[in-house]
Amino acid sequence: MAAFMEEALVEARRARDAGEVPVGCVFVHGGKVVARGGNEVNVHRNATRHAEFICIDAILATCREKRLPARQLFSEITVVVTVEPCIMCSAALHTLGVKEIIYGCENDRFGGKTVVDVAAVVGHRIEITGGVRADEAMALLKEFYKGDNPAAPPQAKKKK
Amino acid sequence: MDISAPPNKRARKSPNLDEDITGIRAILSDEFDEEIALIKAHSCELETKQQLQAVIQELAQKLPHFQHLKRVQDRSVLICPSSEIGVSQSLEQHLEQFSFSEHVLRALCQGVRVVEVPERMPRLRVQYEKTLKHWPCKFHPNHYSESLRNGSNFSSAQRRFHKRIGQLLVRLSRDINDNRPVGICVDPRQPSIVSIAGTAEGCRPHEHCCMMLVDFVARSQEGGATNPEVTFTEDSKEDTTLRGIPKAYYDYLMNNEDYKDLTFGAEKSRECKKVNADQGADNLAKFGPYLCTGYDIYLLQEPCLMCSMALVHSRAKRVFFVKNSDNGALATRFQLHSVRELNHHYEVFQFTTKEDADLT
Repeated sequence: MAAFMEEALVEARRARDAGEVPVGCVFVHGGKVVARGGNEVNVHRNATRHAEFICIDAILATCREKRLPARQLFSEITVVVTVEPCIMCSAALHTLGVKEIIYGCENDRFGGKTVVDVAAVVGHRIEITGGVRADEAMALLKEFYKGDNPAAPPQAKKKK
Repeated sequence: MDISAPPNKRARKSPNLDEDITGIRAILSDEFDEEIALIKAHSCELETKQQLQAVIQELAQKLPHFQHLKRVQDRSVLICPSSEIGVSQSLEQHLEQFSFSEHVLRALCQGVRVVEVPERMPRLRVQYEKTLKHWPCKFHPNHYSESLRNGSNFSSAQRRFHKRIGQLLVRLSRDINDNRPVGICVDPRQPSIVSIAGTAEGCRPHEHCCMMLVDFVARSQEGGATNPEVTFTEDSKEDTTLRGIPKAYYDYLMNNEDYKDLTFGAEKSRECKKVNADQGADNLAKFGPYLCTGYDIYLLQEPCLMCSMALVHSRAKRVFFVKNSDNGALATRFQLHSVRELNHHYEVFQFTTKEDADLT
């Protein structure tokens, strides 16, 4: 499964090239990538458009189009993401009931496992594995935060 | 029911619904609300007050505990938390490793008692007063925190406005959104309604009204990721935009006598260069709209964990909600706004309703 981390890193680099926070994600089902995406926060001016949500929306669109039962499909999906899902994404993934989450580096600012025990709040626990190619995921973030987030107001830029 | 459809005629207001919301209370984080736990500590009783200076001086250097407490009460002096002393150790054995001067060591081992002291510094006066009967505590009163607790943080005009928006949530849900959840985003400076969103019928499992609301606010900033089957309001003025407000809600409010005086529209995004750098102004005033910075969010239902975190990411200023949710993450199952590690914190308020009053 961890081999799919390369695919997630490809998405993260693509996000970086588009001026977004470099986080990438793929959803894996039956040994195949069924959804992929990177952060799209800045382009939409919507702070909730994280890579995981891009993939969730793609799966839901497929389910609607092909009239597949979404809950069933999500329960068979492995989420592979370069950075530990944030509290919001983790809550969504727990609520949707995905099979498991595999992530790269930890997110000590708002990680859905490191900062808050999302599984306990949502009342449903799924398998989570961290630390897969963490250094590469972290290197991408470090590279990004050295520069400026083009969409953030000037004061926020100074702090970084 | 499609929320782009014109408001339903059958939905007339029921006689007492608008009086349902009776007040607003702040949902303070645990450190303000909870009683302060007590821990056991060893103390000694000095023979004379003349010993105090030497004892305190050495204690401050060698056992720098209890920053939040006064170390001395009359002739009693706090030495260390009892938990620091090994199970099979006496106080004297424990103190020996710190190489106190002999006369101080002797003083510390006189009249030894185990006392209960507050674990941390109180944040509110009511907590402070409770700690006093155990051991004198340091306390820095904060006027704003106290006002949140006793409700004097709002002027009566502000309170009236918040309650009105709370009542509006109830009405919009009932009259336009088939009793499904509704949210409103307000720029508190005018105040002016920036966006309104309701959970759509048969929506996807994560399309809660709060997530929609955040996206509709993005629309007012020429963004927005979702493509809902909703018609939005066209702009009619130069400096503000109505693009974050679905037409169905806007038309309903425009055609309703009760809401004639409400202001609508969001300030348009500024060019990054235009900075109004007034001293003390907040980020919304200085830089113009960015996500939900400086905006207030009003929700019919307490947000779930996903939505609560979406509002942190969006940098909302305050969150008001009417009803508790079974999976609510601001009061019912969790208090996301109490998590210190997060990089943004908003204030949380709940409207109190007649129902609450009936229960108590």
